[in-house]
Amino acid sequence: MHISDGILSGPVLAAGFVGTAVIAGLTLRNMDMEEIPKVSVITAVFFVASLIHVPVGPSSVHLILNGLVGVVLGWRAFPAIMLGVILQAILFGHGGVSVIGANCVMLGGGALAAYGVWQLRHWFSLERKEVIFGALAGGSATLVSGMVLSLALVTTGEQFLVMAGAALAAHIPVMIIEAVVVGAAAGFLAKVRPHILAGNTAPALLGRPSA
Amino acid sequence: MPLDIDRFAHVGSPLQRWDPRFKLAALGVLVVAVALIKTIPVAAAALIGAVVLVSLACLPASFVSQGVKWVSLFLLPFLLIMPLSYPGEAAFHILGLPFAWEGFRLAVLIVVKALAIVLFAYAMFGSSRFDISMIALQHLKCPKVIVQMLLFTYRYIFVFLAEMRRMDVAMSARGFVKRADRRTLRVMGDFVGTLLVRSFERTERIYKAMLSKGYQGEFHTLVVFNATSKDLVKAVLILLGAALLFGVDVAGIFNRAELGWY
Repeated sequence: MHISDGILSGPVLAAGFVGTAVIAGLTLRNMDMEEIPKVSVITAVFFVASLIHVPVGPSSVHLILNGLVGVVLGWRAFPAIMLGVILQAILFGHGGVSVIGANCVMLGGGALAAYGVWQLRHWFSLERKEVIFGALAGGSATLVSGMVLSLALVTTGEQFLVMAGAALAAHIPVMIIEAVVVGAAAGFLAKVRPHILAGNTAPALLGRPSA
Repeated sequence: MPLDIDRFAHVGSPLQRWDPRFKLAALGVLVVAVALIKTIPVAAAALIGAVVLVSLACLPASFVSQGVKWVSLFLLPFLLIMPLSYPGEAAFHILGLPFAWEGFRLAVLIVVKALAIVLFAYAMFGSSRFDISMIALQHLKCPKVIVQMLLFTYRYIFVFLAEMRRMDVAMSARGFVKRADRRTLRVMGDFVGTLLVRSFERTERIYKAMLSKGYQGEFHTLVVFNATSKDLVKAVLILLGAALLFGVDVAGIFNRAELGWY
């Protein structure tokens, strides 16, 4: 899911770059040396994982997984998504060089929203809450990204109104797929390596303490 | 999908020999100018310019077509939806839907601009080694942390691609077939989770190895840029081209895309 070159108007493109610079500045604060390889390697995983295609009816869609980036990296999800977007634009014109800013805000915003939803799990004591909140996080990442996409299209011009609606509608199946995949992945990680997940700071050596 | 964008960086051509700092800066300005175009003839001129640059860089069509194919796939719906949804007078009706030429012309403009920018991106990054392009970006005041992370990520994309293929082979060897059902999605979730766990463990090893080799948060490079007057001339030419495109577009010689072909 990307905005392509050539669509958005100058002010919207500029707003994308400014927004990206501001959010990146905020989310990159206090980054220590150790985090540089970590964030980069995780970014590489997501870059590769976004090449996975899953069948939907007769066709297939590729995973976005920006929700899972939020679930794993927390605030650092934004710079990670930014790296991914830049590389996709450079390596195969996925998105495009002129829309890097807008795409970062769209996908990175979704990742930050996912992190917010994911953190809500601390307020609940449920069985398998990682799966539930992972799924909610994955779904809301797609939802927020779809909304940013529609907003970018509509602010470019009212002639894009129908296109924006169509784009939002096309996100519904993607949202469901992302929710199931991110939920499963979060549940898997909670069982196998809980400290990988954002917000689970203490490495639980002997399993999680029962709530 | 070929991810090694710099496969043809060793070819000797005016673009490959161009100092990457000047190349990225000048072409970057050009891309911005192209993104702002609002008239079809100017966009077409930009597309021709992009084709010329890509062929100057000796990038074969089979290599470039990968990116072009993806962009066209993404943009095809625009050619269909824009004319049918444009809030204007309908020229005729298709299946009861009003078809507006204004919308079609806008869609054509979008497609032409997108293709031009993708080709310019190939000319920018396909004509120097990836790491050198990144160091050039750092010279252009791109934050160090970001450049470092980009280099890192690029390095490990290939490692994880190979890892993913191995896991994929292992899964199909055990009889897993992707279907459009919930189970497939859950298995894909576990798949991504496994990939993450493996990469996390690898990160720790990488980081320790880097520390033991004296990593202190900085990458050192032996790349030295030597700009000559030729590099500057090339940059000025590209910038003049960008200014020309922008000027003609703004001057009102041609109609804005929605209003006419020229």
